[in-house]
Amino acid sequence: MLIKDFRRDFYDVLQHQRVLVLVAFDVDALCACKILQYLFQCDQVLYTIVPVDGLQELEHAFLENAEGIRHVILINCGAAVDIVEMLQPEDHVRFYICDSHRPVDVHNFYNAVQVKLLMREDELSSMPAYDDLFRDDGEDESEESDSENDDPETGYKRKRFDDESIIRRQDRRRWNESRVKTLFDYSKFTSYGTSAALMMFELAWKLSKDTNSLLWLAIVGVTDQFVHYRTPRDKYMEDIMSLQSHVSRHNQRGADDENIMSVNCLRVSFEEELYLPLYRHWKLFDSICHSMPIACKLRLWSLKGQKRLHEFLAEMGLPLTQCKQQYSAMDTAMRSEVKVKILEYMNKYGLEIQDVIIPSFTMQYGYKHLLCATDFVYAAAAALESVDRLRLPTDNFLAATEILQRCVSRKIEAGLESAKLQLRGVVNQVQSFLDMHQIISAGPFLYVCVQEGTADSRFFSHPQCLLRLARYTLQAHCSVSRNKRVRSLPLVLGAPLSIEEGRSIMVGIPPLDTDDERKNFFGKAFEQAAESTNTVVRFNSFDSHIIEMKTEDRSKFFDALISILQ
Amino acid sequence: MDASEIEFLAEKEHVRVIPNFSQDKIYLISGDLGPFSAGLPVSIPLWLAVNLKQRQKCRILPPDWMDIDGLKDKKQEEADSRFFTDMPSPFYMEITQLLLQCATDDIPGADEVRTLIKDIWDLRLAKLRSSIDVFIKSGASHAKLNHLTLLEMNTVRQFLTKALDHMHRLKLCVSGDPAVQQ
Repeated sequence: MLIKDFRRDFYDVLQHQRVLVLVAFDVDALCACKILQYLFQCDQVLYTIVPVDGLQELEHAFLENAEGIRHVILINCGAAVDIVEMLQPEDHVRFYICDSHRPVDVHNFYNAVQVKLLMREDELSSMPAYDDLFRDDGEDESEESDSENDDPETGYKRKRFDDESIIRRQDRRRWNESRVKTLFDYSKFTSYGTSAALMMFELAWKLSKDTNSLLWLAIVGVTDQFVHYRTPRDKYMEDIMSLQSHVSRHNQRGADDENIMSVNCLRVSFEEELYLPLYRHWKLFDSICHSMPIACKLRLWSLKGQKRLHEFLAEMGLPLTQCKQQYSAMDTAMRSEVKVKILEYMNKYGLEIQDVIIPSFTMQYGYKHLLCATDFVYAAAAALESVDRLRLPTDNFLAATEILQRCVSRKIEAGLESAKLQLRGVVNQVQSFLDMHQIISAGPFLYVCVQEGTADSRFFSHPQCLLRLARYTLQAHCSVSRNKRVRSLPLVLGAPLSIEEGRSIMVGIPPLDTDDERKNFFGKAFEQAAESTNTVVRFNSFDSHIIEMKTEDRSKFFDALISILQ
Repeated sequence: MDASEIEFLAEKEHVRVIPNFSQDKIYLISGDLGPFSAGLPVSIPLWLAVNLKQRQKCRILPPDWMDIDGLKDKKQEEADSRFFTDMPSPFYMEITQLLLQCATDDIPGADEVRTLIKDIWDLRLAKLRSSIDVFIKSGASHAKLNHLTLLEMNTVRQFLTKALDHMHRLKLCVSGDPAVQQ
């Protein structure tokens, strides 16, 4: 059931109760969790936070921690599965789901007692009507049993063949077929709704407990959705505009002399940022090379592309020596001109404004840290998916939490360093894909696999990094390939998960043509392919387009997928 | 005495806040607090003010003496005078520390205030040290200092008492008092 009044039906119910919070493993969920944690600390609510990175861990965490708990909050997990069916809770347990995954499972929506959804109403408008899905079959069955009781001597059931029951049976069959079809249409495409962090921030705002730091967390959550290609650009712009009003509300002091703010307060400001990843903490040259839109438009994998890049820099008047040193060490005059110059010359090199500029926010805290929202997202995502095998997932979760708390600057710097390594790994992998022509067009989709044993393959056993690689690969391939049709083909990417067990992870992303909607149909497609080939596929992730399977089953699976999608 | 104990004592000082909730009087052993009406200033002890601020339930109004011009004058006065001047509050250092830690956004010119208070503190401690020096060198048996605050006293208390004790014993040794063993 959808909650209309967050404060009354969700927050007030939780006062003086013990709460279990299950959090998925992505930066948006982390931000939402931190906002909720702050609210709980303000109002002294007892809570337990458990990070879960898949459906199995969700079940396990629930079983372990659910004693005596009446309220369970799920952040960015659990909307797409029938949660009551899966966890088999007791009757007094209430679930509150704040999840950006769509479509929401119909049982979650129509369960008025045990499941409450913390989502925006307009995003659930495509839910099929109640009567199409659930029907009171009681009267039909009682008619059937009456007719059976008429023949006690013969002892076996006999169908009555009079008109009424035939019509009723036909009706029911038709209704069942339409139900199956409605459900299939409804759950065919997966997409993402509003960020969980933004929903939590709105709750804080309604409680008048919003602060600048909570606002910053909401900004990071929304940016995370955009950086990982979950939401289209239009939705991102909408969210940014609504956040901008909050930013100006919280940060209007400091302009006039009488009311000077201390430097140790958090200050957030809106900026039209350059879409170069981590450029403030890296060399400008490296940042441009690793920026996806620029690299794809200039085709930096070929020698010609490299030359064009040098030409671009030269025409802008930025000497190569300056570009190849740390951004903070560049000449201040040059630094202030970088943005202006790029905007001036970008059209000549085929770049558009949305490749280069993205409206975003920066935060300043103390004298040292000027960070923008995308920096935070990259650093936190790199910390969550750290390649150090000795660390447990919960350690990664805690490390990412510390980065978001921004008190410990060492952690942020470590996070930024690992983010740079991840970016380099992604770009190198894309380069090798293109050089060795490993992207195969398999009819209805493109298909590529990361080779086992390469140095960078350890980054790609994690879903978020793999998604970024997939998108980068697709965009790069479209820019290089001469085939016009390639923009309408989706991509399936496989990567080794663990070499000893022989398992790999597969991800499917929608084609570039449908970039305005970003609807993903691979969830259903993978399911059907797995059924038809009887392969053992693990649908553990909360995103249905990410699956795990045995490496040797891959080719069988692909053949099935090709036949389904044709 | 420990610095944390002195901070605990300082937290009893009253400070004015503007709450955003309404509640009736609270009856505590140390006194009555409230009643709280949203939007109206009320005077409460510092410990409660800090707690409410952290829970986002109030806005703290800086004490009257915590403004930049007043503190600049005070600092000038302290620098000019040979003796200690009267401080606006016997716990000025602790109150400033606590307020600037939790309510930096409520206090205008927080950085400047912090620097000024630190300067005043340094001036007074320098005077204290030099006056102790003069006292010991002159060999007087007692001295009187006015307007010292508890925290400043605490910085020298332990060392000064032990050092004076040692010196007394050494003097007795030198004067050859048979009553003293060693």
